[in-house]
Amino acid sequence: MKLTADSGLWSTGPATAEPPLVAVLEVSGAVLAWTIDEPPAAPQITFTDLSRADWLWHVVGDSGHVALASAVRAADEPRTIELTGVDIVPGSVDSLDRLAVGHWLRRWWPASRRDGIAGLDRALLDVEVALLTAGLHGFFTDDTLDSDVAGLLAPHAPALIMYLRDDDPRIRDLVRAGAGLADDLGIDGVGWSELFAALDDSSAIREVPTGRRDDYALAAGADAGPRGAAPVARGVASVNWSAVPPGIFDAAENTVDWSVEVAGTTVVAIVRAAIMGPDPANGVAVRLSSGAVGGGGALDTDGRATLPLLDTQQRPLPESAAWDHDWTNTSVIIGAEVSESPETRERVRRWVRARLDRTTDPADQAFLAEILAGESAY
Amino acid sequence: MNAGPRVTADVTWATRATAGHPRRAVIEQAWRAIGPGVELLSSDDGGPLSRTVKRIIDPLVLRLRANPQYSLPVVTPESAAEMHDLIVRSGPELRSAATWFETLKLERRRLRIRTGNAQELYFPVCFELAVTKGAPASRDHETAAAVLHDIHRGRDRTAIEVLQQYVASPDVVTMLADQLDRSWRDVRAGDVVTGPFMAELSTVLGPATSPTKRHSAAPARQQVWSAVIADATPYNLGALARIEGAELPWSIVDLGLSSAAPQRQPKVSGDSDSDRPLDRSVVDRVRSTLRRGLDRDALPDIPLLCAEELDRAAAPWGLLSEDKQATLVAGIEVAVDLAPLDRSVTSRYALAAQIQARLRKEAYVLHARRYLAEGGPIHPRQQQVLDDLAAYVKPYLSRLWARLHGRDVWQEPCADVDDMRALLEGVARSVSLDHRQRIKSMLELRAAG
Repeated sequence: MKLTADSGLWSTGPATAEPPLVAVLEVSGAVLAWTIDEPPAAPQITFTDLSRADWLWHVVGDSGHVALASAVRAADEPRTIELTGVDIVPGSVDSLDRLAVGHWLRRWWPASRRDGIAGLDRALLDVEVALLTAGLHGFFTDDTLDSDVAGLLAPHAPALIMYLRDDDPRIRDLVRAGAGLADDLGIDGVGWSELFAALDDSSAIREVPTGRRDDYALAAGADAGPRGAAPVARGVASVNWSAVPPGIFDAAENTVDWSVEVAGTTVVAIVRAAIMGPDPANGVAVRLSSGAVGGGGALDTDGRATLPLLDTQQRPLPESAAWDHDWTNTSVIIGAEVSESPETRERVRRWVRARLDRTTDPADQAFLAEILAGESAY
Repeated sequence: MNAGPRVTADVTWATRATAGHPRRAVIEQAWRAIGPGVELLSSDDGGPLSRTVKRIIDPLVLRLRANPQYSLPVVTPESAAEMHDLIVRSGPELRSAATWFETLKLERRRLRIRTGNAQELYFPVCFELAVTKGAPASRDHETAAAVLHDIHRGRDRTAIEVLQQYVASPDVVTMLADQLDRSWRDVRAGDVVTGPFMAELSTVLGPATSPTKRHSAAPARQQVWSAVIADATPYNLGALARIEGAELPWSIVDLGLSSAAPQRQPKVSGDSDSDRPLDRSVVDRVRSTLRRGLDRDALPDIPLLCAEELDRAAAPWGLLSEDKQATLVAGIEVAVDLAPLDRSVTSRYALAAQIQARLRKEAYVLHARRYLAEGGPIHPRQQQVLDDLAAYVKPYLSRLWARLHGRDVWQEPCADVDDMRALLEGVARSVSLDHRQRIKSMLELRAAG
């Protein structure tokens, strides 16, 4: 095993791709990372505090743990150290990898109506991630961003109660397991006492309404292009995933339609981003720039915005200038300014489609939410 | 994120049979040697639950506070043998504790109690019951119900009620106020020369090992830390903080320790208009002690506790013992160097640089999880929290002060330099987690609303 310096911290294992192509997991004293679309391999392990990584012996064996600890203690600051005879025990990080993927699915799953990638059921995914985390308690001696099992479960009682009578036994089993864990943890948020009561009393289960919520069955947002008087210019742009929170926009390419129009005496840009939900788009920043001309603002709930355009001197753009302007190089940025390439997003979609096609393969250990999404695609 | 591959390593570390064992491996092996009967305290693979270790094994079986050598990440072969022996010999109590846990859980269900984490709350009590009563008699509803009542109705509430009654008497309050005035006046700053003291601090907060004298660095650092504690400078700096126009290396208002400079004399009771550590009233400070004292050793009675707290509130930095005052000053020096989202910041101390590197990695996790864009908010709603993060020093010092206050009350020392450094690191970890959870929940809030 080779230890190297990574911005002042000890690190080992392969370099990983940048987000969103990386699944990370924060355990006690370390951050583990895997590139999602590469074959299963050793993770990159970056030690935030090796003395808190008391699980290490599980992963590198007792002698490996002791060797790592003493090598690091003897060095003044992170540099390169080759540890001979210390290796990751085969299979020891598989569940951690799966948990990292579970967290990735919660945040980056590219649900898209246009691409035909169904959304994942949030409640079922969170319950499964929570159960997996509870089973890996030995890696969370210190609380970390990923140790909060109660936080994962707490919001979902109202959704889970609807699943108690679901026809699908896989769903019923998962809900029961999640409720059992919630009971031990003493979660008492909205809906939990009703859920526990329904579980304690099987006759009450028959009383509860049934049916899975379809979080993603929202009306299409902006499929129709901008209309009105003949626009000065129009075009399309894409949403950078890492620039916006998940659960709002359709994750396909070219989902942002824009046009420059004359409204009365002012020139405005009209922007519409295709939304997917379940969360609203309002407040998300939007900016159109074309050379020295541009305008900015925030989207409304449905992903639309009308932006007054300004010229170089920050004055309203006159209509004549708008017609004279060359709009060929116009960019529309939704959310934060980030560097993210369409190729990266395409890599993610390829990996996700492959997962959906193979959800029945036990070797892939798909989450139930993925399996259901895969089944709904047929 | 990697420094990139290098052809040759600086050092090749031959893995010889190094002495020592990973702490958790020792515990897990001993646990398995206990045999059947502890399943309720174990995970599916037969090892102890993390909570079993945290709430029973560490504090009650290994008694880490008395045996710090058992708390090292890698323990010596001798410690390992002793730990193994202690755990295995506690087998009968642990089996009884497991049975008690089952009894309490049944009673919890019967009483339809749903609040609180059952393992977290009941594990220590179960072990206590196992030691004092052995295994539960069959269907010992009464004990179980009494224990649950105690836990869920709040022992701390009773003590807090006693406190409220005590300070409801005007005579008592007058007496306490006089005593506070006297104690406050007794504190006077001597001459302060910070230069040599700060030089000593750089050694204490310096690299984990010194490159020039690798093997002697640790003992040397301990010596310097002992000298820092013996030095009057932390006391004097705290005393100066109350004098108008006195020159301190930092502003106690900017540090978030006080809402006003110079520091004002705290009140005996009453809600202060600020939650800054040095503004808090004596009664408020005693109340936190009672809240934190749930499963600690018995505290002195309320009048004595109040009298002690008066002296503490009047002491420099609101802390009585020199090692706590010195640790707070060391913590201030580290905290002013921390800025989780600022990549340009440079640290004067190796320990601060180390913490800063961790904070950056933790911010990267938020980015990799789409809670932050590259270095900025991913939604305008997060701006407030990000602004708070820029003022990392305030929450850091509030939390450090609270921990030091606890140690001061229970007379737990900060005399060991590694322990002190671990405390400074631990505070950074918990403040960072707190901040990141707030950044996260700012996004989830909008999802819910």
